[in-house]
Formats: sequence, structure tokens, C-alpha cells
Amino acid sequence: MANLKEIRNRISSVSSTMQITSAMKMVSAAKLKKAQDAITAMRPYANKLTELLQSLSGSLDADTGSAYADNRPIKKVLVVAITSNRGLCGAFNTNIIKQSTTLATETFQGKQVDYMAIGKKANDILGKKGRIVANHSDVFDHLTFENVAFIAEEMMELFKNGSYDRIELVYNKFKNAATQIVMSEQFLPIVPATETQGSSSDYIFEPSKADIVEQLIPKSLKTQLYKAVRDSFASEHGARMTAMHKATDNATELRDQLKLTYNQARQAAITNEILEIVGGAEALNN
Amino acid sequence: MYLEIVSPEATLFAGEVNSVTVPGINGEFQMLNDHAPIVSLLQKGKVIVDGDITIEEEYENKFTKNAKGKTVLSIISGTVEMKDNKIIVLAD
Repeated sequence: MANLKEIRNRISSVSSTMQITSAMKMVSAAKLKKAQDAITAMRPYANKLTELLQSLSGSLDADTGSAYADNRPIKKVLVVAITSNRGLCGAFNTNIIKQSTTLATETFQGKQVDYMAIGKKANDILGKKGRIVANHSDVFDHLTFENVAFIAEEMMELFKNGSYDRIELVYNKFKNAATQIVMSEQFLPIVPATETQGSSSDYIFEPSKADIVEQLIPKSLKTQLYKAVRDSFASEHGARMTAMHKATDNATELRDQLKLTYNQARQAAITNEILEIVGGAEALNN
Repeated sequence: MYLEIVSPEATLFAGEVNSVTVPGINGEFQMLNDHAPIVSLLQKGKVIVDGDITIEEEYENKFTKNAKGKTVLSIISGTVEMKDNKIIVLAD
């Protein structure tokens, strides 16, 4: 049986780990609440914009000649992987990396695939597997619409000048605190809006309808990216909260087991001592 | 009529107002009750809201009051949609 001091040391180290994990869980829970609120706050804007764009482009000619709707033959693909800057959040980052590499090796097999990293983890790991065009990990320091819009503009530029024929977004969609869904969606060229009834026919347009659509498309792309980054940010905290919760549970279990072993060892030691004393006394009596 | 001012980060205002003046791309214009349905792009300028309105404390610093006691919000760009006495301003 392990000696008492060893077990005591292990118990104290497990207890301190437990304190850290449960503190991290609390922090993530608080951050998750904030991140969730931010998603809720941006939803009206995103919905209204999509609604407006759909009702406009629905009644517009299918081919508006928009630079962002250009379906070229795919030669070069850019995969934008959105991960977190920090670890300790379970399979959160691994899933994204896996999905990104699957895109590169299976979906776009034989094409040139480069990566753009939003999040340090994607930059570190994907950098070993392929070429990273840009690393925008610092966006998480100040997660505002302007900062994300700046990245979106860079992506639009890369598409427009022909550097890439297809841009894919890979991110964790926030479902609830315990569940994230790995999403892989086409960012550019834009997916044509599904046909809606021409309810907008009696609007006054200022300037022309086509001009408005042309202005709204970049805006909606920026919103799409912002939404993805926001979703990923909330998912990160959700994932970390779950991971830390599990870690705390495991630590509790381990500590209880160690305590049991410790008490058993202590009792055995006492029994041994008593046996020795009784044995000694018995020998003296004889 | 009902006005909603929505930015990417939050819904800044939602409520009943008397009139709204927006900086349209072809010039400033005002919308009153029963204005015809319109969609317009907005340029940099001021959205001026007239009416007895209250703004949530959280967003109060984004709005200012002008000399006539109307509420003013500065925007960089945006879009406005008016339909059935419901105005939605997407402000950036």
C-alpha cells in the first residue's frame, strides 16, 4: 500500500487542480452569458438585412453581374478557419482543424487550398499543414463589428481580384452551452437568395434597385462573417465551460477515491501498531 | 408610426414616433405617417427623430438632443425601409 505522505500530497495537488478548473468554469460561464447576449443583440440586424436583400434580389433579374456572385471554375480555394486563441476547451478547436483538412483533402482534392486563420490555434496547427494567407487572431481582443468588417473586406478583395475562386468558412455554430455544431459554409461567391414572392414591387427606390443590392451585398457578407465569429466566440466559452465542468467532476471523483485509500492506509497502519503492541505485551506476560 | 433603429451590435431604439428625418443618398428627407413604401440607402449624416420617446440608458450616449429638442443619432452609412407605417433603420 502506498505510503501516507505520498497520498496526502496527491490529494492536495488534485484539490488545487480542482479549484483552478472550477474557477475557469465560473469565468467561462460569465463570459458565455455576455457572448450570448451579443448574439441576441445582433440577430435583428442580420435578419432585417437578409430579409431586405432577399425581397430585393427576388424581384431582380437573376444575373445582376455582381462581382461577388461570379461562379468561376474552382482552382484556388481559401479556407477560413475560426478557432479560439486558447486551449482547454475540449474538442472545440480539433473539430475545426479536422473539418478544414477534410475540405482541403477531400472536397477540394487536387485544388490549391490555402488557409486564413482567425484564432491562434488554427494558425498554429494549420500552419504546419499548409500555407496561411493571413492570421487575424487579434480580432478576439476587441470583438467589434468594425474589426470583423475589415477582415471581410480583405476576403472580398481576395475573391474579387481573382486570388481565390472560392472562399469557405469553417466555424463552430452556437446551439447551446453544451453543444456546438461544426459549420462549413460557402462565403464567396455568394449563394443566390432563394426565390421569394415579389412583395417589394410597390416600393420607391433611392437610388435604383440594382444599386441598393450592390451596396447591400458587401454589408450582408460582413454581417455573415461577424455572425460566424460571434457564434464561434460564444461556442468557445460554452465548450470551455463544459470541459471544465467535466474536469472538476473528474477531480472530485479522484479526490474521493484518494481519500478512501488514504483512510484505509491509515487504519491499516494503526491496526498494525496495535497488533505489534499487543504482541509485545503478550510476549512479556509469558 | 413605429420606428426601429438597428445596428450590428444592438437594437438602439424601438418605439412610436411622429416623424423621422434621414440622410438619404440623394439628399435628406423626412418621413411622416402614411409615407409611401420606400427603400433607400443612407449616407453619412444624422437621423433625426421627433416624438415623445425614451431611450434605454445603455445606448443614451449614442444619441444627442438638438436645439428643437429632437433626438439625433449620427450614422456613417445605412439603409432605411418604410412599409405600412413601420420604419426600420439599419445603421452602421
